[in-house]
Amino acid sequence: MAQSYSAAELYEWIENGASHIYLDVRNEEDHSRFAVEGPHNIEMRNIPYFDFIEAPEQASSHLDPESSVRVICAKEGSAQFVAEVLESLGFIDVSWLEKGIISWGNLLIPKRIPSPDNYQLWQFNRPGKASCSYGLIHADEMMVFDPSRNIGFYSDFATQRDLTITHVFDTHLQADYISGGPNLAKISQAEYIVHEGDFSGSDIEFRPIVDGERIQFNNSSGPDILCTHSPGHTPGSTTFVIDERFMISGDTVFIVSVGRPDLGRKVVEWAKELYRTLKTRICTLPENLIVLPGHYTDWDLESTDDYLILNDFGTVKRMNEDIYEIDDEDQFVEYIIENMREQPEVYDEIRKVNAGFIDPDEDEQDIMDLGKNECAASHMVS
Amino acid sequence: MTQQTYDDELDCSGMNCPLPVLKTKMKIDEMTKGAVLLVSTTDPGSCKDMPAWASRVGHKIVDSGEVDGRFLFYVQKGE
Ligand SMILES: [Fe+2]
Repeated sequence: MAQSYSAAELYEWIENGASHIYLDVRNEEDHSRFAVEGPHNIEMRNIPYFDFIEAPEQASSHLDPESSVRVICAKEGSAQFVAEVLESLGFIDVSWLEKGIISWGNLLIPKRIPSPDNYQLWQFNRPGKASCSYGLIHADEMMVFDPSRNIGFYSDFATQRDLTITHVFDTHLQADYISGGPNLAKISQAEYIVHEGDFSGSDIEFRPIVDGERIQFNNSSGPDILCTHSPGHTPGSTTFVIDERFMISGDTVFIVSVGRPDLGRKVVEWAKELYRTLKTRICTLPENLIVLPGHYTDWDLESTDDYLILNDFGTVKRMNEDIYEIDDEDQFVEYIIENMREQPEVYDEIRKVNAGFIDPDEDEQDIMDLGKNECAASHMVS
Repeated sequence: MTQQTYDDELDCSGMNCPLPVLKTKMKIDEMTKGAVLLVSTTDPGSCKDMPAWASRVGHKIVDSGEVDGRFLFYVQKGE
C-alpha cells in the first residue's frame, strides 16, 4: 500500500530541494490553471489519472521506477489510485497527497520574523496563493493581519500558545482571495479593523480605521500599530507600521512592483491616487522599515535565505527604481496602463464574498479561492 | 441537452474520482464500436475528466448535461 503525505511535507520537500518527481494526475486544464510551486524549481509532470486507467504501462513509461514519485490530484482518490498502479508496476518509492490540491492551496507556513525580544512577529506564507498574512504577539495577545480562509490555522496557532486573538486587520478588501478576517474576528470575539473606503456599504461589521491612529494591545504595553491610509490599489488600502520597524504593506508596496490600481476599473483615477500615496505617504517613511507585503511573485527575488518574504524599504525602492523614480503623475498613469493585464473573472465574486454580499458553500469557496494572485502592477521578472 | 438513445447505462452516483472514469472504461470495453453508454455521476470532477478521457482514448461524448444535480454523459464507443 502506497503511503500518503501532507501538504506541509510537500512544502518542506520543495524548500529543502528534495529530488522527487511530482506527478500531477489531474486533467491538463486544471493543471495549467493551478499547480504546485514553491521556493525552488521542481520536476513536475502532468499525466492525467485516466491515462493510468487506460494504459498504465504506457502512461508510466516516461517515469523512472527507481525515482521517488509524489503524486498529486484534486481530492486524493486518483493520486492514491495512480500511486498504487505505479507500485504494482515495480516503482519503489511512491506516495500520494492527502486531501488533494485544495489542501496545498490552503496551506500556511509559519515563520518567525526577527524582532525585538518583547514581542513576536510571524509571517504566514501561503505558497499556493503566493500571499502572506501576519501575526503579532505580545504577552498573551495576538493580532492577525490579512488572514486567509483557513481560519482554523490561526485559532489553533493562538490556542497552542495560550494566546487570545484580540484584533484582526485587513489591509484592504481583497479581490484575489477570500478573507478569513470577518469569521476569525467573530470566533475570537476580536475587533475586525478595516478602512471604510473599502468597507462602507458592505454587510460586514467592522471598526473603521482612522488615518494616523495608533492601535495598541489591550494590555496597552508592547509595540503599537500606526495606521496609514494608503489608497490606490483600493480606496481603503491601509499600511500598518509596527513599532516604527516594520510596515505591513498589503497590496500597496511589494518587494517587487506595487499593487495594481486597475482592479476597480477606474484605472486613471486610482492610479493617480496611488501616485499621491506613494509620493506623500509611503516614500516619506523611513528606509530602514522592513516591508512585509501581502503578495510575492518570485521567490528568488523576494525571499530571504530563510524563506521570509521581506526586505528593507530602501532596498525595495532601489529594486523598483523604474516605479519610484517616476516624478510625474501622468507618466505614472501611463506606466500603470502599459502594464495592465486582464483580471481574473472570479475577482468580482471574491469581492462580494469579502464584503458579505454572498456566502457560497465551502466547496465553491475552495474553488474560487484557488489560483495564483494577479495583484502586482507589473511583472518585471525576467 | 436533447433526448438521446443509448444502448446501456451506468450509474456512478456518489462515487469520487477515479471511480466514474474507471467504471466507464470497464463497461465500455465490453460494448461494441458505435454503441452509446449513458453515464450518470454526481462528482463535479467528472465534468472535465470524462470528456478529457474520452477524447484521449477516441470515444465520443455525443451529448452531456446536468439534470437534478446529476451529470449525464452519452459516451459513444470509438476505435
Ligand atoms: Fe489585493
